[in-house]
Amino acid sequence: MNARTRWSAVLALVLAAAVAALVAQAPPVQQAPPAQPPPPSAAIVVKGKAPVSDRILQVKLPRPMEADLPNGIHLMVLEDRRAPQVAVNFIVRGAGGYFDPADHIGVAQFTAMMLREGTATRTSQQIAEQLERMAATLGAGAGMASEDATISAGALTEYIDPVLDLTADVVLNPSFPDAELARFKARTRAALMQQRSMPALLAQERFMAVLAGDHPAGRVLPAVASLDKTTRESLAAFHKARYVPDHVIVAIAGDISMADAMRKIQARFGAWPKAGVPAPVSADPPALTAPGVFLVARPNAVQTNLLVGVQAIKRTDPDYFTLTVLNKIVGGGPTGRLFRHLREEKGYTYGAYSNLSAPAYRGLWMANTDVRTEVTGAALTDLIEELRQVRDVPVPQKEFDDARRSLVAAFALDLENPMSAVGNAVTRYRYGLPADYWDRYASRIMAVTPADVQAAAKQYFDSGRVQIVAVGNGDAIAPGLKKFGTVQVFDTDGKKIGEK
Amino acid sequence: MPVLSLLKRAAPVVLALAVTMPLGAQTAPKVAFTESTLANGLRVIIAEDHAAPVYSIVVHYKVGSRNEREGRTGFAHLFEHMMFKGSENVGPGEHFLLVFNNGGSMNGTTNKDRTVYFETLPSNQIDLGIFLEADRMRSLAITKDNLDNQRNAVQEERRLGVDNQPYGRTFEAVDELAYDNRAYEHSVIGSMTDLNAASVDDVASFFRMYYAPNNAVLAIVGDVDAKSTLEKVKKAFGLIPSQPTPPSVDMTEPVQKAERRQVIEDPLARLTRVDMVFKAPARGTPDDDAVRVLATVLGGGQSSRLYQQIVREQQLSPAVSASISGSIGPDLFRVMAMVAPGKTPEAVEAAVYAEIGKVASGPVADWEVEKARNLAKRSVVGGLTSSLTRAILLADYAAAEGDPGRINGRIDRIARVTAADVQRVARTYLTPENRTVVTTVPKAAAAPKGGQ
Repeated sequence: MNARTRWSAVLALVLAAAVAALVAQAPPVQQAPPAQPPPPSAAIVVKGKAPVSDRILQVKLPRPMEADLPNGIHLMVLEDRRAPQVAVNFIVRGAGGYFDPADHIGVAQFTAMMLREGTATRTSQQIAEQLERMAATLGAGAGMASEDATISAGALTEYIDPVLDLTADVVLNPSFPDAELARFKARTRAALMQQRSMPALLAQERFMAVLAGDHPAGRVLPAVASLDKTTRESLAAFHKARYVPDHVIVAIAGDISMADAMRKIQARFGAWPKAGVPAPVSADPPALTAPGVFLVARPNAVQTNLLVGVQAIKRTDPDYFTLTVLNKIVGGGPTGRLFRHLREEKGYTYGAYSNLSAPAYRGLWMANTDVRTEVTGAALTDLIEELRQVRDVPVPQKEFDDARRSLVAAFALDLENPMSAVGNAVTRYRYGLPADYWDRYASRIMAVTPADVQAAAKQYFDSGRVQIVAVGNGDAIAPGLKKFGTVQVFDTDGKKIGEK
Repeated sequence: MPVLSLLKRAAPVVLALAVTMPLGAQTAPKVAFTESTLANGLRVIIAEDHAAPVYSIVVHYKVGSRNEREGRTGFAHLFEHMMFKGSENVGPGEHFLLVFNNGGSMNGTTNKDRTVYFETLPSNQIDLGIFLEADRMRSLAITKDNLDNQRNAVQEERRLGVDNQPYGRTFEAVDELAYDNRAYEHSVIGSMTDLNAASVDDVASFFRMYYAPNNAVLAIVGDVDAKSTLEKVKKAFGLIPSQPTPPSVDMTEPVQKAERRQVIEDPLARLTRVDMVFKAPARGTPDDDAVRVLATVLGGGQSSRLYQQIVREQQLSPAVSASISGSIGPDLFRVMAMVAPGKTPEAVEAAVYAEIGKVASGPVADWEVEKARNLAKRSVVGGLTSSLTRAILLADYAAAEGDPGRINGRIDRIARVTAADVQRVARTYLTPENRTVVTTVPKAAAAPKGGQ
């Protein structure tokens, strides 16, 4: 056992001085003046009268204890006695949809979802009753592009032993009974049909297909044909090959000590034989070389779901901190430019945000907003203009400082939730980041400069990289999309139906 | 209906609990708090919890869509948006900046009964949260520009949640058909026409009538000192004048005499769906707890009767639910089932009624009642473990049931429900003459309708 210290070094969260007046003014324009409106400050008026503390808040980031069991399970435990409950996450590396065999895409997801549907000694119904009479939760899933399967259990402390018994049973001994598989296939077929009516999912599906092509990172939904050909044997084979202890992280937070957790996990999972081979590794999706415009025609839509994004970075890329700050400025919440401009100033939308997704392989940065059909072209033009602004115009120092402070000060809120501290530790372990990664996170964010952010924007938001996906009323919105390039049109079943 | 979507930190998912007694296996945790009422009628609840350097502040206004007048559906929620557009000392949009740039999170939310505003902030920003809430209660900025801007945002919120989603209209159709009293009959989001009709004068009079200290409850939970915090609250809120008590809303719902049915077509849907709702008792009335246990027996998780029979065994539906919302007025017990391809809504309905019949005629197993009891306990333990959830619940119990201390009796109240109670309420409320059924059928996609 390699138990580390529970508490990290003190992290000083500098909560900077009271907000000074941020007058509504455009930053200096270095190149040609923008054809579109100035940065979205018009809708914001800062009076600067609210009391803001500039006291330095000393925060201790809790750090879980860690140990490796003899069969390779990596155990992480954050003891937290504040509530009589325990949360347990099993992360099975290599058991996510990313590692589906090429001839059976979706099998990882089907395997995870079938874990609860029967074991060597319990029926599906018995598992449900035994868990739920204790009000325990036990969920299993494997994202289509995820490297991992995850099994999450939660229970009141008084029931932790029987809940771990059930968890071990479904993880170790699933039997994938034929009758339950037939039922699972029928309801999943119906669910897949229903999902084709949901615009956000259609947008996500097209966007990921554009960003990653046939690479596993682009998977969103399984094909019905893949579901149809699934058998008890194919699930059992995937389970046998991929659910192995030396690829498993067990992350626990709550009313339990490391010693107790280790005893309980070892007792139930200690005899699980290790595979003795490393977990499979992912690879970057091929680099995109040209921009594109894609339309999913959804008859009767009254709104357009817009996704605009680029290929970005993996989690360990040195640009991670810079892109985190850049994302915060552009669309990281209601203080971001997209929200302020598209919602608060223009009234095009209920929300406009952006996200950076940086997994083990090359991830993406993506902005999203849902706007009414009539303003689709105008909103897209404004959104693209935001990318140009951040490329061509340095971020004003005040706005820049606010973004960094927001990212760093938000750590205080994480301290309420032990699972979030464990989640951070899992990320660190999962991506092989340094042991002091989270202790240094704030200072790394504070070290980013406006010049770094502009350089990153020039590199990653280059107009030659930007991909545009719109889901909406095809005839009405195509004209507004065409000014950004030839529009490739798809139907809601994902079939290409033409170009405009 | 929140003012923002997609806020990573807005969801209360936290584990920090101040307890006043040791946690034994069978001991329900208790939330300790202090309570006072200012001279202007503002009810103030403070609970200290020093587990993390964080606190949450909640202001619960006793106004929701039930208070809306004819021709102004959606107004309570539109008003909620106006509360983020500035006040005497806070500029439009500055609220967002002050909270998020200092590491906090915030939102607002409106339902039929009430409107709630909240911030969670690092504890050194205690003055900021109090200032923001007091300034807008005292001096909201009411301008035509702000109103037009938020009217647009709310109309997009409606499109996002209702008009552009499969089954988006279904929820509205159910309430319109089931309720006779207009207080609950219309949706919180409201109609486009009524949203367009809302005026600056409406905002001003709504603010005066409902956003008064005597119509609100303030709760602060977290890493604060109760005594000095109360002093700060008195100073910030104490001089805000009280207003006449808002007019009471007639919530009387006539007894339903016969089943009501409607079929609606949905051009965005691909599967048929059936909504079966039953008039149910209001929150806090004697049968309320038994009805909640009934919802668990019928619809709680994969061990529930509806899932086991209708989803798993008979494969009539890929998804089914049963729930009760906890309204302070006449409530609805809602059963929803998607219809599997190749199956009929009639078969799904018949199977649901058969399961209801089995509960009504018994027996209800001990484990099913135990499940409801444990769910109440897990919900209290899990839900009360964030400063925000505790603040929301303390204010909610104070406003809706008159006593924040009711937060500590929930587990015991559910534990008192017996199998016989569950059967009795099933027989009493889940009857054919008390039910409303809306069937939503996919409409083959017609030619696109153009822009609107």
